[in-house]
Amino acid sequence: MAVTGIAPHPRPQPNPRWAAPRRPRVGVVKFSSCDGCQLTLLDMEDELLAITERFDIVEFAEATSNRSHGPFDVLLVEGSVSTADQAEEIVQLRRQATTLVSIGACATSGGIQALRNLGDDDAFRNSVYPRPEWIAALPTSKPVSDYVAVDAELYGCPISGRQLLELLTSLVVGRRPQLPDEAVCAECKRLGNTCVRVAGGVSCLGPVTRTGCGALCPSFDRGCYGCFGPREAANTVSLANWFGELGKGDAEVAREFAKFNVGAPAFRKIVERER
Amino acid sequence: MTHVAQPTETVDRTFEVGMLTRVEGEGSLTLRVHDGKVVEAHLGIFEAPRYFEHLVVGRTPDEVIDIVARICGICPVAYQMSAVHAFESLFGVEIDPAVRSLRRLFYCGEWIESHALHVYLLHAPDFLGYPSAIELARDHRAVVERALTMKRTGNKLVAMLGARPIHPLTVRVGGFSRVPARNELMAIRPALDDALETAKATVDFVRGLTAPVFEREPKLVSLRHASEYPMNDGRIVSNDGLNIPIDSWREAFEEDQVSWSNALQARTKAGEVYLLGPSARLTLNADRLHPLAAEALASLGLAEEIRRNPYWSIAARAVELVHALAEAIDIIDGYHQPDRAAAPWTARPGAAAWATEAPRGLLFHHYEVDADGLIAHAQIVPPTSQNQASIEADLTAFAPSVLGLSQAEATHQLEQLIRSYDPCISCATHFLDLRVEETDE
Amino acid sequence: MVTATHTGAAPETFFLRRELVNELIQALAVDDREVIGPRVEDGTIRLGPVSSAADLPRGIGLDNAPGKARLVERGDDRLFDQPPGPDSWKRWTFPARVTQAVWTDGDGTPAIERRLENPPRHITKKAFLGVRACEIAALSVHDRVLSQGPTPDRDYAARRRDNLIVAVECAVAGGTCFCASMGTGPEVRDGFDLALSEIDDGFVVRVGSPAGAAVLEGLPVLPATDTQFEHAQASVARVREQMGIAVQTEGLPERLIAAADSPHWAEIAERCIACTNCTLVCPTCFCTSVGQRSDLDGQAASTERTWDSCFTLDFARVAGGNFRTRLSDRYRQWLTHKFGTWTTQFGSSGCVGCGRCITWCPVGIDVRESLMAVAPPVAAAVVARPVIEALPVVAPPPPARHEQHGTPPVKTTVVDTHRETHDTVTLRLRTDHQPLINGKPGQFVMPSLPAGASPAISISRFHDDGFSLTVRAAGASTTRICALERGETLTVRGPMGRGWPVEQALGRDVMVITGGIGLAPLRPLLDWLITNRERIGRIQLSYGARTPGDRLYTAELDTLLSSGVIDIAQTVDRAGPEWLGRVGVVTQVIDRIMCSCDRTTAFICGPERMMQATVDVLHERGVPDERIWVTLERHMDCGVGLCGHCQLGKFFVCKDGPVFSLAELGPAFGIEGL
Repeated sequence: MAVTGIAPHPRPQPNPRWAAPRRPRVGVVKFSSCDGCQLTLLDMEDELLAITERFDIVEFAEATSNRSHGPFDVLLVEGSVSTADQAEEIVQLRRQATTLVSIGACATSGGIQALRNLGDDDAFRNSVYPRPEWIAALPTSKPVSDYVAVDAELYGCPISGRQLLELLTSLVVGRRPQLPDEAVCAECKRLGNTCVRVAGGVSCLGPVTRTGCGALCPSFDRGCYGCFGPREAANTVSLANWFGELGKGDAEVAREFAKFNVGAPAFRKIVERER
Repeated sequence: MTHVAQPTETVDRTFEVGMLTRVEGEGSLTLRVHDGKVVEAHLGIFEAPRYFEHLVVGRTPDEVIDIVARICGICPVAYQMSAVHAFESLFGVEIDPAVRSLRRLFYCGEWIESHALHVYLLHAPDFLGYPSAIELARDHRAVVERALTMKRTGNKLVAMLGARPIHPLTVRVGGFSRVPARNELMAIRPALDDALETAKATVDFVRGLTAPVFEREPKLVSLRHASEYPMNDGRIVSNDGLNIPIDSWREAFEEDQVSWSNALQARTKAGEVYLLGPSARLTLNADRLHPLAAEALASLGLAEEIRRNPYWSIAARAVELVHALAEAIDIIDGYHQPDRAAAPWTARPGAAAWATEAPRGLLFHHYEVDADGLIAHAQIVPPTSQNQASIEADLTAFAPSVLGLSQAEATHQLEQLIRSYDPCISCATHFLDLRVEETDE
Repeated sequence: MVTATHTGAAPETFFLRRELVNELIQALAVDDREVIGPRVEDGTIRLGPVSSAADLPRGIGLDNAPGKARLVERGDDRLFDQPPGPDSWKRWTFPARVTQAVWTDGDGTPAIERRLENPPRHITKKAFLGVRACEIAALSVHDRVLSQGPTPDRDYAARRRDNLIVAVECAVAGGTCFCASMGTGPEVRDGFDLALSEIDDGFVVRVGSPAGAAVLEGLPVLPATDTQFEHAQASVARVREQMGIAVQTEGLPERLIAAADSPHWAEIAERCIACTNCTLVCPTCFCTSVGQRSDLDGQAASTERTWDSCFTLDFARVAGGNFRTRLSDRYRQWLTHKFGTWTTQFGSSGCVGCGRCITWCPVGIDVRESLMAVAPPVAAAVVARPVIEALPVVAPPPPARHEQHGTPPVKTTVVDTHRETHDTVTLRLRTDHQPLINGKPGQFVMPSLPAGASPAISISRFHDDGFSLTVRAAGASTTRICALERGETLTVRGPMGRGWPVEQALGRDVMVITGGIGLAPLRPLLDWLITNRERIGRIQLSYGARTPGDRLYTAELDTLLSSGVIDIAQTVDRAGPEWLGRVGVVTQVIDRIMCSCDRTTAFICGPERMMQATVDVLHERGVPDERIWVTLERHMDCGVGLCGHCQLGKFFVCKDGPVFSLAELGPAFGIEGL
């Protein structure tokens, strides 16, 4: 997070008191995903070079031809597990990583491709592959935490660069990462946004969705569609019940929750109840 | 370094790269040479399929726009543009001219971000002998910093219109959920001016590079427009006479599955291999470039090389950087906030199809909309899928010339060949949806 | 500027023609004053800069209902016939994000500069145009909460003073308004510089202060006629009638406290989504959190204070637990505090009846219904409120001089570190800041390092040249503090809180009962007891720990034990062969103590469950509640009763405690999720 009003040092001088004896070894790997979460790291243009100086990025296939199978001090994992090879690989990677962080909706809840976990034959029944034996994929797209223990999670589709930076900073500085688990509404109200739902009758999942994006959707005059996933104690049942007041039918309500975090239990519950 | 092709007589060699680096997504390379002849050249795409064409079934058009962005983290704007124009064409929606300009501005932002990423972070290290831009930055920090600043400007442009550069959220059928005020756009003007200088410096940088000599006469395909450098509109053309409406891709091309790739490949109906992307676009539309970009192209003197040598796609991208920045500046200078952010629309059943020019080339979408206004069927054909066959053909043609090199060096050049296409593999991966009709035999 | 109520004579009253509203606004804007008023924006009524009458919502109404707010075009000329929108004036007096402090490189070691206590000298003066009766009440409530305590919020005071308040008396009742129930409106009684009552062809204007009179000077206003004045009065009387009484407030605080175990809380919680909207639109909510901002290396660091809400998960989190994880507990906390314990804390209800929480709740929970369901009135009869009890308006404190008082940050130097257990370290710190050296046993400090969080840690011993802290490495920030070496600097705010009542030990037997790290806040008490040995009866220390290795101050304990100055009974939950002492929980130890329990004072510190079990044993032995003292732990972000996190019933644990007697706490002790 850029500190407003404070000029950062032109070239960061790590405080030797806090520096680890060596640079932490960082890996970035990808499973089934669009690449957007990894790209978030490359999109932190202002901090990228400082990060590469502070951390030793030993594995990041998109950015460097230097490869490593570990060990890693910090391993960022993007993407859901949806093939047998990936299921094996994540177990191997877990053994190599001290701190494993799953990043993004795919890695933390299975992504939108987790829709096929709902066993919805209708959607896939009519597709006939010319050569199905050439394709190796599991019938499900699952989050990393379904296969291995995970030390931290960054949510979002994509994740927030600010939150990634906060996580990395907290590792360097030594503080609990500030990744608040509160509703998008809290951020909207702090920013001074008008509630699109109450004032405009626009459907918005903000009240049950975790903040982190900076309340982007309502700031740009549309409703939140839940890409950061359900927050703690997300009372999706209550919100779904209230959708009727906005004139939405059951099928529409189910579709609202059947998006990028459909694999998360609080969202999945609503989709399944409407089926 | 340049070197001359030296065919070798009897050689059995295998080149394998299990995981291609500095490309987007997961791909592999397998090249087998037997008796000096290439018997297998496979760009293996093992990126796991995510079934997007099924995920959008049963959704509304606006939901589809949100969803298809997730096909790619680097080029989400392209997916949203191809989708939204397809729906607007079926529903007969007239968008405000200012909104049309904003859409081009949006695309300029993505081209800037994507080309800056590729030229400096993914491709340039090959030319200069570095494993990555990290090492490149140790020796040439200022160059990399300027590049990152230019990339950031592209991202900021996308974020200004779309709220965030990855998976923007404002695109709606009819326009945007919100359009900026003029002064908001003018605030980014200084950064654009600065980035334009960096783009020109990129052209100079490219001028100083040497590339492997490998030339062929590819069939090039892109959009072409009556007056603009093509982005969201035009007709589909090739360098050998093809000229069809923008929604008629299926009349000239078709997809097919191969055993070594999770991504469908594509060829013309006549079975020909073809090439999309900056090299194709530039070659077919050089006369539509912004004057500053045309000047840059002329100063390079590499128009022929760009057409015939895939390694020189880096020059095409550099020129397109100049174009995108110059055009962005012009659009912002002429911008007046429209009265409404989006035109009203009603869904109609039918076929919605359109193609736009993603940074990597022509991206085609086809949707069937049902009577309830929901999607019944979707076909999405990304540029990298279409380029696969071309990549493999090029590998086959190029391989003999590297057989005289060490395994490591040869593999490096082959990988570099693939990288010069700027493949976007996560996009490319999808499945053909065939409906088989049972007939009585 | 808010001034004291005019007593006695009615304020001067004028009439302003409708066409002159523009001139009024220009008069308000004199001397670069920023005029803020209602406007139509984003499909609702928002507060924002107003430069002419054309900016005001002419002919626009706002249809408020639970979970819904829709603009209505009436097409008439009236300017202020809308209830408030989601904004309250706290957006300007108590903004959502304020830089609290900045770390600087003071003479080579990091020092923290508290911006919050040194607010900017030049805050643009404002005129708040269109302040309703409920909002005047809300400003007055904030004055009490933020300016009247022992540590006034100077930033608030700086933003609050020098503003002109131009009130507007409502002529329509909003669908969710209930100011009549709360006694805060609809009549505007005081707290204004000018008050406007809209009638057909203009405004009846009351002057409430010399500043208000100055604004009117030069405007062609005439004295209001009796008819005009009566129209204005009739207008607001109609609003009162329209609104009716929705909430019986007679004895509401007691009713709520009595309803602590009501099953209705869980029922409401089924609908509540803890989205925090109600608390963030509320004009009187004041809870905040402090976050750290820094660059990648923690070099450029600052802390920022942001609006928070008791509905968030982390609100009541402490190291090792969370006091309010259940939604029903959080909803209960909000309602019970706002309508109940607030009265004890601040002398009025926290709610002003503006209805924003009802309108802007995404699922339309109506707090008027919730109150009547959970805490119905005791008597069947409807109690009408015959007289409006307006909150006395209080002026904010005079401009702050730039001297530090309250709890400024102080640099201390580590002179010694001693590892007590595998995760606990005692730091001996040197300072010459007298309040810290002269602190009381049981008080605490809030230490911080650049870019790190600032936990509350009890002082574990006082020295002539400083004090000691025993710190457990429970998280990243405490781990850093534990890792400090001799010669390094630790910035500290304090001492804070109310300490142990040492005089209660005089002439009595004393039992000190604790477990694990709980001995740390009690050690200064023990020091005092030992120093004053001859004035005290028997002194018994009962000390439990998980294992022998988890005990603090083992060498001192051994010395004390052999000296016989105090009786010490130790026990551990489990032990290896080298432990020759008792095994078992500490309550078993107390059970065996012989004591004349009617003349015993007990001091207890430990996890709440342990304290509860200990209290049960003491009750059985006949020790009265007034002589059982506990020290409580709660989430603290400020330490001085302003951030709201540490509330427990009517108490702020940081400033009313952390030491409490059981008699004071009453029902607040031992209720799960309170």
